[in-house]
Amino acid sequence: MRLTQILYSRIGEWSKRYANLPERYIKRTMEQVYWRNPKGIQYKANTIIKRKKFHYTLDRPWSAQFYETNSPGILHPKVFVEPIKKWSFFKGDRVEILMGKDKGKQERGGVDVYIQEEEPLLVTDQVSLVDPSDLKSTGIEWRYTDSGEQVRVSLRTGRIIPMPATAEETIDYKSKSTYKEQPKDTIEKDVGEITFEPLLKTFEMDIMDKMGIREDRIPKKSYWY
Amino acid sequence: MSRLKYIYNHFCVINKNFTTKNALRNQFRFLSQTPSLRGLMEFFDDEKNWGESDVKSGRSWRKDDLRIKSNTDLHKLWYILLKEKNMLLTMEHEHNDQARLFPGPERIDKVIESMENLEEVVRERNRAYYELETGETGEQIEKEITGPFGLPVDYKLTEHSIPKEVNAQWQKEQEVKCRPEDVTNFLLKYKEKEYLANKRRQRRNFNHVIGLLNRFPKMDMEALKEQYPDVDIEKAKASRRYKPPPIFD
Repeated sequence: MRLTQILYSRIGEWSKRYANLPERYIKRTMEQVYWRNPKGIQYKANTIIKRKKFHYTLDRPWSAQFYETNSPGILHPKVFVEPIKKWSFFKGDRVEILMGKDKGKQERGGVDVYIQEEEPLLVTDQVSLVDPSDLKSTGIEWRYTDSGEQVRVSLRTGRIIPMPATAEETIDYKSKSTYKEQPKDTIEKDVGEITFEPLLKTFEMDIMDKMGIREDRIPKKSYWY
Repeated sequence: MSRLKYIYNHFCVINKNFTTKNALRNQFRFLSQTPSLRGLMEFFDDEKNWGESDVKSGRSWRKDDLRIKSNTDLHKLWYILLKEKNMLLTMEHEHNDQARLFPGPERIDKVIESMENLEEVVRERNRAYYELETGETGEQIEKEITGPFGLPVDYKLTEHSIPKEVNAQWQKEQEVKCRPEDVTNFLLKYKEKEYLANKRRQRRNFNHVIGLLNRFPKMDMEALKEQYPDVDIEKAKASRRYKPPPIFD
């Protein structure tokens, strides 16, 4: 269980948010099951043998290209991924490249784990955020404001680096307010409407009362074991 | 989508006979009270979406959205979601039959997620009622028992009309079919396998941490400790395989 949790958490949280897809769908499309235990008495019921090692590339894990690189039977050499505490680069952030030919250049970064140039860059030591006050690269720290909000603070000047407006962009909408409602969507007003009233009834009792169903029969004594 | 069109025409022919009079005579119950009764065509998606490459949809219903809704609303919403799920599964089946790509497959997951959330909210309400009135949750009791192989298994209590002392059939089902000495033997080997797998996992993590330390000398140690809590980092650094590259600053 722990292993699968680690595996799914490997897919960047922000990539998932950008794709605007439910977790269940990602899990379902990625899954490659080799064996399921048949029904019946088993010493380990519901055992599933499935692929555990995935090779993560720039392709989205739910895409056909990702399946192609990870199709059954194909294994890739192990990739060492540096553990980081909290992701602090977002789509639309101004970043400075600290390595290679483009060293010193400042770019607008994508949502990816890597910046999609000729070669992906590591966020840990190959790029850094740019302080908006003096447009120079800086290290950052996550801190809480007085209102309890988490913000990125420049280590050099101590100023807040604001979240880019494009960070909440997804594939379906630019921002939550500009979302175009689809024909089957429930409108926002109806979603927020409070119709709940507390009653000393179970769900079934309430529905039966509302629909005028009366049940006077006394059930026979039963045994639970 | 020629076959879809055929099915559509076919249903249109059937629908002519579906007058209210006929329906009443056949004791056909219209569950749906939507203004546009499309008959069996409700099993299919809107005709505008046929052959589309992508069908967009909003997010699923969350628990917090559902907690503020009345029981009647939840009851209605359940059937709306159920109908939508039936429709989507029909469409998916039809697309698979025709070897076409089903547009917006995540819609199925959104509907199922919503239904799961809805059920949980209804259960929450019922649990609150029963805990207040009887002091119990009122849900099916589940407990852990020792299975026929000597391993713990979950067992859900079920309702019977006669007590278990006189229920011969149930008692026969509960009979342990394994010899006790076999169970002991099996458990010994099973535990050994578990132990070895655990050891292997520990060793793999330990070696992985050494690999990380060798590759990323400026790594955040707290993040490493968080991700591999069972690895002793000092011990990994004392290993002869720990050869970090020199840092030039």
